[in-house]
Amino acid sequence: MSLRRDSGRLIAGFALLAVLHFYARPRIWGGDSRAAPDFLLLGLMLFAIRARPGMAALGGFLTGLLTDVLTPAHFGVGALAYTLVGYLAAWGRAVFFPHNLMVNVGFFAGAVVVRDLIMLIASGSGRALGSAGFLIGSPLQALTTAIAGTVVLLFFRKWFAVRMA
Amino acid sequence: MRHPHGRVSGSFTRDASRSDTLLFLACLGLSAGAIALPDQWGLSIATGLRDTALLPVLWLQQRAVEGRTSRARFQALQAERDSVAYAAQTLGEVTAENERLRALLGVRARAGFATVPVEVLHQTVPTDGRSLVLSAGRRAGVVAGAPVIGPDGLVGLVLSAGRETSVAMTWAHPDFRVSAVTEDGAVLGIVAPSGGTDPSESFLEFRGVAFRDTVATGALVVTSGLGGIYPRGLPIGRVAGIRKEELGWERVYRITPLANPGRLTHGLVLRQGGGGAEGQRDSGEVSR
Repeated sequence: MSLRRDSGRLIAGFALLAVLHFYARPRIWGGDSRAAPDFLLLGLMLFAIRARPGMAALGGFLTGLLTDVLTPAHFGVGALAYTLVGYLAAWGRAVFFPHNLMVNVGFFAGAVVVRDLIMLIASGSGRALGSAGFLIGSPLQALTTAIAGTVVLLFFRKWFAVRMA
Repeated sequence: MRHPHGRVSGSFTRDASRSDTLLFLACLGLSAGAIALPDQWGLSIATGLRDTALLPVLWLQQRAVEGRTSRARFQALQAERDSVAYAAQTLGEVTAENERLRALLGVRARAGFATVPVEVLHQTVPTDGRSLVLSAGRRAGVVAGAPVIGPDGLVGLVLSAGRETSVAMTWAHPDFRVSAVTEDGAVLGIVAPSGGTDPSESFLEFRGVAFRDTVATGALVVTSGLGGIYPRGLPIGRVAGIRKEELGWERVYRITPLANPGRLTHGLVLRQGGGGAEGQRDSGEVSR
């Protein structure tokens, strides 16, 4: 019964993040979406820090495929970036102490930057790494995603079965 | 080895670790395969998924964009409407004069364009800005190859049209090209994006300008109408200076684009075949 309730809360948690991503984000930030938190990536990270690396990679692949379908400038680049981010996050959890709020927040912020880095390189826009779009836009989104992640961890961590010290 | 979910036996950990690695490599392989797909295949897969599995998600995002803009832009739209209404007071006289002059010269009436209003559904990834998902598809009359314009000027063209949504290639996309001319019609060339930069920082180049021709800084560059895709007169950008000179035969000018795809929330997709007054009437029907 408890297992069913936990699964229900987990699914509700990810559904909440999806609604935040596809409804709250465009409603609040509108067209200026580069500064908006990436709730999809946040969902992937919350999944990755509790899943096995293989499953985290699969989750990343599916999330990336979703972004590729919605931003088909370079099909497959998102899948590659999110797969790597998911896999690295799941392994990173084993290396770093995962039950610390600041470590998790650092994970969320780092994931945004790593995702952008991989996407720009894989899409053949390597020169854009020195541009304001990456040097300012990416850290800004990392910051907003980290703030959103902090709120989620503080208020909804039981939903995502994340343990905190 | 300690597993995050508890202490487990060594052989189980090895097997699990192997299966993790295999799954990871399989995902990487599929990703690499997706990147290697021909562009048209990738677009077809994306269009198919957007029209089926992702329809609820896009519906949700479209409602959010509509909800935001209907509140935030109401006053701006009212001001624009007042300005347009004022300008329209003299339009009838100008139109009649234009028709008289065309009749005198024996020139037939200019073909009109019907329009389909669309919302732009932005995403959070860094490649957003090169291609945009639009909220209207074939059912609203959007077809591949149709020009997309914003309030400030040309945005790009529709790359693929699904049933409910479509994808537009903006001027920041490396494959974008448009035949262009200065506003006074004196200098003709090709406008293309400068290669390899961030979509949010891209600028355009006015290429193929004969060395003998000079374009003043600040001059407006518009579509020339050549090629049959873009109608003549859509504003593209303003000349910001000389980008480079090919010795003795060509000048390349740098153009500051008028439309910013990264901040665009609403746009219009042009539909050919409206035909003058009929096109205007058609436009009204589509807009409603």
